[in-house]
Amino acid sequence: MIQVSSISHAFSRDSREGGGKLPVIDDVSLTIERGSFVSLLGPSGCGKTTLLRIMNGLVAPSKGSVHVDGTTVKGPGANRAMVFQEFNLLPWRTAEDNVAFAQELQGVSAKARKARAQETLSAVGLDNFGKYYPHQLSGGMKQRVGLARALSIAPDYLFMDEPFGALDPQIREIMQIELLKLLARDDKTVILVTHSIDEAIFLSDKIVIFSARPGRIITTIDVDLPQPRWENDEEIKASRPFVEYRQEIWRILKREVARSIADGAAVA
Amino acid sequence: MAETTTHIGMPGGTQPFMGRLLRETWKRHQTAITRLIAVGLFLGLWEWAVSSGKINPLFLASPSSVLARLVEVFANGTIWQHIFASGEVALWSFLLCVGVGVPLGIMMGRMRLVRDTLEPFIIAKYSSPTVAFLPILIIWLGIGVMSKVALVFLGGVFVIIINTEAGVSNVDRKLVETARSFMASEFQILRKIVLPGSLPFIIAGIRLAVGRILIYVVIAEMFASTSGLGYLIFQAGAMYDTTLIFVGVTILATTGIVMNSLLRLLEQKIAPWRYGLRED
Repeated sequence: MIQVSSISHAFSRDSREGGGKLPVIDDVSLTIERGSFVSLLGPSGCGKTTLLRIMNGLVAPSKGSVHVDGTTVKGPGANRAMVFQEFNLLPWRTAEDNVAFAQELQGVSAKARKARAQETLSAVGLDNFGKYYPHQLSGGMKQRVGLARALSIAPDYLFMDEPFGALDPQIREIMQIELLKLLARDDKTVILVTHSIDEAIFLSDKIVIFSARPGRIITTIDVDLPQPRWENDEEIKASRPFVEYRQEIWRILKREVARSIADGAAVA
Repeated sequence: MAETTTHIGMPGGTQPFMGRLLRETWKRHQTAITRLIAVGLFLGLWEWAVSSGKINPLFLASPSSVLARLVEVFANGTIWQHIFASGEVALWSFLLCVGVGVPLGIMMGRMRLVRDTLEPFIIAKYSSPTVAFLPILIIWLGIGVMSKVALVFLGGVFVIIINTEAGVSNVDRKLVETARSFMASEFQILRKIVLPGSLPFIIAGIRLAVGRILIYVVIAEMFASTSGLGYLIFQAGAMYDTTLIFVGVTILATTGIVMNSLLRLLEQKIAPWRYGLRED
């Protein structure tokens, strides 16, 4: 279980941009149950990615704290892994060595991490691409490698920062389905940051909607759609409840996005 | 164009075989062929100008006489002491340049304090001619190997420092953060992200340094020496032995070209993704 307790965060602004502080998260509290799939949805700049980084331990919050399974987060941990929007693969390493990188940092023996890398690459459908370098892979394949890297350390919590944002819409839908299939095998907790309302509805058990900067939680929506969703994705996405969720969420978000555009213009 | 495409895979087509072969060879090796012709023409013209008596051989030795002399000095072994003397200085300077330049560049790229401390000295050194240091180096270190190594080191080390620093500070921050998210230590970040990420820059710096090292070896030997290729060239000049001057220059140029090509190959091998060498 992840407990986010009254987190606020502000970035120091560069003196060229007028200095001072730019508040991005304003007093956010949130509980994420073990085994659930939670999406953080909100306009650009609402601090959802920052909140994800705070939960992962990459960023220390200005105020508040995060507890993962009762332990205060002070930095990244072996029970949490991150998948990045831009894949962040090391260009000088093959797919296999990129996956093995996570375990390598944690001191796992070369033989064991290689075996594990092959196992996770195979789980994401890249059995035959272990020896390829990132520049030889398509975007979808690169993100599979990024996913395999995160899964290789067998984390309890998977943080995904707009993982499919850099992929084309069709690949994106396929990746969503494959992610659900993959997750069905073991009981992971996933926190997904996304811009896509459809993606959030299709994947999540729970959607947390953020306001424009500084991000506050406007509301939380429990998504009640039939499981497993990958089996009849087309029907689900066309179903009455799905469309209603989308309408409801967009009604809330529209106002915030408009605000963030006005605010963004003022800041930029 | 259409003609060639329709006849692909049809041996003995209407187009004469030789013509097609020539065209294919030209397409594939255009750069190499152009270069070869240019150099060939240049050498031919040079040879003709000297051997026809249009230019006094005292001023310009013909390529053929340089080649003959080159064979001669290698055959009778007189050239070796000069090559060894220069090679010794070059090798020590090279090792010093890399051994000092790379770590210093990394520290400057990673640590603000080191960068801010060293930057004024580096700018000062960069804007003053290296040769100006030779008199003081000779006073300090005498005219042996040491003063020469010191000069060549000063001439070569800064490109390595500057390139390494640029490489280190250009390392993708997202990759550093990725490593951190998987619990990398600072040392692991240095070894597994910063070093491999800046390696292409470091190699490029070393490549530039090699060129400078060759130049400064010659300069050092012209002033304070009793052997070496620079000394040889200078002595040959004093005795109006134009052919010998060109022999020295040829050896130096060849070394430079070979080293440069080797390091370029290394650059491409180390960072193929930078050169877009795709295998798909």
